[in-house]
Formats: sequence, C-alpha cells, structure tokens
Amino acid sequence: MSKLFSLILNELGKIFVLKSTWAMYIILAGIIIVSAVITSTSNFIDTDKTYSDDWKTELQEENESLMTEIEEAEDDPFIESSNMSIIEENEYYIENDVRPYGYHAGDFTMDNLFLTSLISLFTIIVGGGIVANEFRWGTIKQLLIRPISRGVILLSKYIALLLFTLITVLFLIVVSVAVGAVFYGLPAVNPEIVVTRPDGMATSALIWETLMMYGFRTLNIIILATFAFMISSIFRSSALAIGLAMFLMFAGTTAAQALARYEWSKYILFANTDLSIYYNFSGPIRDEMTIWFSTGVIVVYMIVFIIAAWTVFTKRDVA
Amino acid sequence: MSEAAMKIIDLHKNIGRSHIIKNLNFDIRPGEVFGFIGPNGAGKTTTIRMMVGLLNITKGDVVIQGHSIKDDYTKAISEVGAIVENPEMYPFMTGLQNLKHFARMSEGVTSERIKEVIGLVGLEKAIKTKVNKYSLGMRQRLGIAQALLHSPSVLILDEPTNGLDPTGIREIRRYIRRLAVEDNVSVIVSSHLLSEIELMCDRIGIIQNGELIAIKDLHEKAETNEYIVSLDVYPVEESINILRKMEGMEILSTDKRIQIKTIKDNIPFLVTTLVQNDIEIYGVNVLQSTLEDQFIEMIGENIIE
Repeated sequence: MSKLFSLILNELGKIFVLKSTWAMYIILAGIIIVSAVITSTSNFIDTDKTYSDDWKTELQEENESLMTEIEEAEDDPFIESSNMSIIEENEYYIENDVRPYGYHAGDFTMDNLFLTSLISLFTIIVGGGIVANEFRWGTIKQLLIRPISRGVILLSKYIALLLFTLITVLFLIVVSVAVGAVFYGLPAVNPEIVVTRPDGMATSALIWETLMMYGFRTLNIIILATFAFMISSIFRSSALAIGLAMFLMFAGTTAAQALARYEWSKYILFANTDLSIYYNFSGPIRDEMTIWFSTGVIVVYMIVFIIAAWTVFTKRDVA
Repeated sequence: MSEAAMKIIDLHKNIGRSHIIKNLNFDIRPGEVFGFIGPNGAGKTTTIRMMVGLLNITKGDVVIQGHSIKDDYTKAISEVGAIVENPEMYPFMTGLQNLKHFARMSEGVTSERIKEVIGLVGLEKAIKTKVNKYSLGMRQRLGIAQALLHSPSVLILDEPTNGLDPTGIREIRRYIRRLAVEDNVSVIVSSHLLSEIELMCDRIGIIQNGELIAIKDLHEKAETNEYIVSLDVYPVEESINILRKMEGMEILSTDKRIQIKTIKDNIPFLVTTLVQNDIEIYGVNVLQSTLEDQFIEMIGENIIE
C-alpha cells in the first residue's frame, strides 16, 4: 500500500515538475481574473445591485421596468425572452418568500462553472500523455523493470490523473471564491437561490448547488480523462489520445442529441456524461432516462475503458 | 550449476512469423562479468528485454536467483538492475530527481544509498542539473547509478561504454570489475565492440542471428596458442600445394598473400619446408590471433558494423 502511495507521488511529481502544467494554472487564474473584470465593467450583470429589507417592492419595481423595456423594444425576441425569464424568477422569489442577495463571490464561482471545460482540455492533455510520454521518452523501460507489477504502475498513473483533476477543479473553485471575494465580497449567509429544474423552478442553497454542479462537471471531466488515458495506454500516442478525446468532448454530446430519436441513443456514452441535465432546464435527451440509468451507463463504459487499458498495458511487449 | 545467478533456459522469441531468438541456453555465475557480444541486430537487446520481463517469452524461461521472470516476476526482478538500450531518463528532471524517482520504486533505498551511488559513478557535480543538459556519457553514468540503487545481485548493462570517452570507459571497466570481485555481483555487459568488453569480462557469449554460437572463457589461455601467419612467397601456386600436404595448417586465404592458421610450434617447420622446396620467401608475418579475429572469423567480417 505504501508502495502505491510512493508511485502516485512519483506520477504527480512528474506532472507538476513540468512548466506546461504551471502554465495551465496561470492561464486558469488569468482567465478567472479577466472574467471578474469583465463581469464588473460590462452591464450584462448588474453586480452593484443590492436588496434592502423591502426587497419585495424592489423586485416588483424591477419587473415593471423590465416589462416597459419589452414594450419599447417592440417584438425583439431576444430581449423579450431574457427579460421574461428574469421576471419569472423574480416572481418566484416573491411568491416563495425567498430573499435575493446582490451579486457576490458565490454567484461568481457559479458563473465560472464554464471554465471546467478548460480543465477538461488540460486533463485530456495530461491523461493523454501520462502513459504515452513514457514511451516517447523511452523511460517506460526504466519504469517497468522495478519490483512492481505493471497493473499497479498503471493504477498509480490513473489515480494520479484523478488527483490532478480534483486538484485543478479545487483550484478553480478556490481562486474563483477568492477573486470573487475581492471584487464582490463574500455573502454573509449561505443564501437560497432560485434554480430551474426540468419540472420548473425550485430553490436551493447556493453552496450545495455550486458543489453539486462542480461535482457533475468533474465527473464529466473524469470520463473524458479516462477515455484519453485508455487511448494513451493502448496506442502509446498522446496525439491520438488528445485528439480523439477532444473530438468527443466537442462532438459527443451534439451527436447524441442528433440521434435522440432512436431508442438506442440513450446507450451512447455522451448522452449520459453530463448528469447536470437532470437538475437544469434541459433534461435528458430521451424522457425515459433517469439519473440512475445514466450513472449505470457511465459505470459500464468506465469499466470497459479501464479493462481495455489494463489488458493491453500489462500484456504488451515493450520494445 | 544449481547456484547460477541467472539461468537462461531454452529461450525462444517469435515476433510475428520471424524467429528472433532461437533456443538460448546459458548460465551466469555469481560474481562473474559475462560479455554478451554479437553484431547489431543479432538479438542481444531482445534477449536482455526478455531477461528483465519487458518482452514476453515465447518459449523457455529466465530464472534469476531461483525465481522465474515469468511466474515470479516481482521477486526475480528485484534482484536485477539494468540499463536497456539507451540510458533514458526524464529529461526535464535533475539527475537527483531521477534517482529519487526510481529509488521510491524499490524497497529500502535510503538517501545515504543514493548519495553513495552518485559518488560511485562520479556525478556529484552534475547531480542537480537537469538531464537534458547531460552528455551521453553523463547519462550513461546516471543510468548505471539508477541500476545500482537497490544493490542488485545481477546487473545488466546494454552497451555500457557507448558514448563514453576513453577515461570514462576505463573507469566503468574498473568499477564493473570491482562490483563483480568485491560485491559478488554478476554483471552482464552487451556490446558490439569486442575490444572494450574483452578487458573486463570473465566469459563471453557470442550471439549471431538469434543463436548462441560460442561461449568462451577468457581465462583459458591455452587456445590462444593459435596464430595467423601471412606469407609473401613466390610462386604462389606451388606454395599452396606444399602447404596443403602439411599437417596442422589451415589455409584461410590466398589472395595476394597466403594466410594460414596454425599453432606457434609449427612456424619454424613451415619455413624450413618452404625453403627446402626452393620457394622464394619475401616475408613471413605472424599475427597473433586475438579474440576480435576469432569473433570476426566466427561470424564473418562483413556483418560487423
């Protein structure tokens, strides 16, 4: 067991000693700061708005002004739909007696959820190289002539990849909260926020909602990373692994949606990788799918990926 | 030889349809330096890769200190330190980081041992430099250091003198001898440069086209009594006829000069016979038959690179 721990340490060491890894973190931190600057300077989100104890009246006033905007815009479908959704949300706050808060670090962190796709990219790069690079450097020979079975070496690399994913997602969350706190301040309480579920609006605690959404995204990243890891182990080519995984990352979900009218499409991996669809307005591609069904599909694919990588890696001739 | 450090038993390797290694059988004794020589492409590296479990064995087995590399891999390999082909290390890490990395993969390698090994190969000054700044010779030393970390009882070095300057070669040679003699480590060194290996080996095995064609004990001096004699004589045809009638003469070539292989004691008799038959002798050169000649002879000169 302690041997596995040392191996994981070795693998993480090899990831974090590279300058390209540090570049990833610098890029990520840079984008977070830039997005904070853009959010505060643009008027897309009014970050200065706060609500007093008389928030119900304030929300009603806001709704009225939004309505006038729609009337003035005269049949502009974009303004109409975006304003209507804010109005609906505000009415939900009033009806359910949920007090809204102004924009703060929690909202900023939630808004930065989109940056997890950048982490997908980084993780695919790391996962696609973690085995293939050893072949490219020729160090695979040094690595495999140790008193450790090949299966354990592969396992240590996979665990290191998972840890890299978690560390990077945590980095995104922590830096987002920190930058958000500097720009917008921390919320005094864990506020309830209004969210849109497949069956309508609901309220949820902000921290819980944030963690859940980041959790779903992390799972998504791990699936892509596992795929890249498998290709990397089987074909010893990081370019192939990175290319294929990135292609699936961009095209997979779209392809699954395009095929949604066929019943078998629900068994496509990318129809199931994003569990957050069960918690937002979009919903699954087919009505009969449930979160447990998707979880099952994910587990089966992951097992297949891991077994394929393991079989090839432990049996192959290393020349 | 039950106490052999390593036994190679009926070893075969097929890749696709080609039969790359054919029925190798030999033992490595404890504390000996075994030279594994053959032209490039003869199967040295393939054999070494099977010894350390990098390649699957088609048929046969390699048994290291009583443990089969096929069935008892972890135990067998923990007795082995090796450099396979080039001493490739992580280029973006320092020498020390590389050594620590590999030390973590074996049981009980202390930081004192790492320091000791660095001292042994003389890399103290460069150990905190990144490996991508290393010369081939320095990487070779780091490779040897890495192979020695866990104090193995069998050391396998594939072309260890590659890229080393003459001083470096001498140092490595001295060091390998010391390991064998003082620490009773069995060392297998492969090379296509016979002259470099000759001086450090106790025995050599010669491999060609995947077959072991000879094992020579270099401490048995008796056989080197054979000499090659080159004759500059006239007329050539008649001389050849005379030589053919004599015993113990093997004619190697008749191109320009006649070359024959014979033992030392025959040389005076050879000259006398030629003189008695009125052959004009312009020159007699005696070439000592070195291991290199024997090697070339055995495998044919044209194959050596």
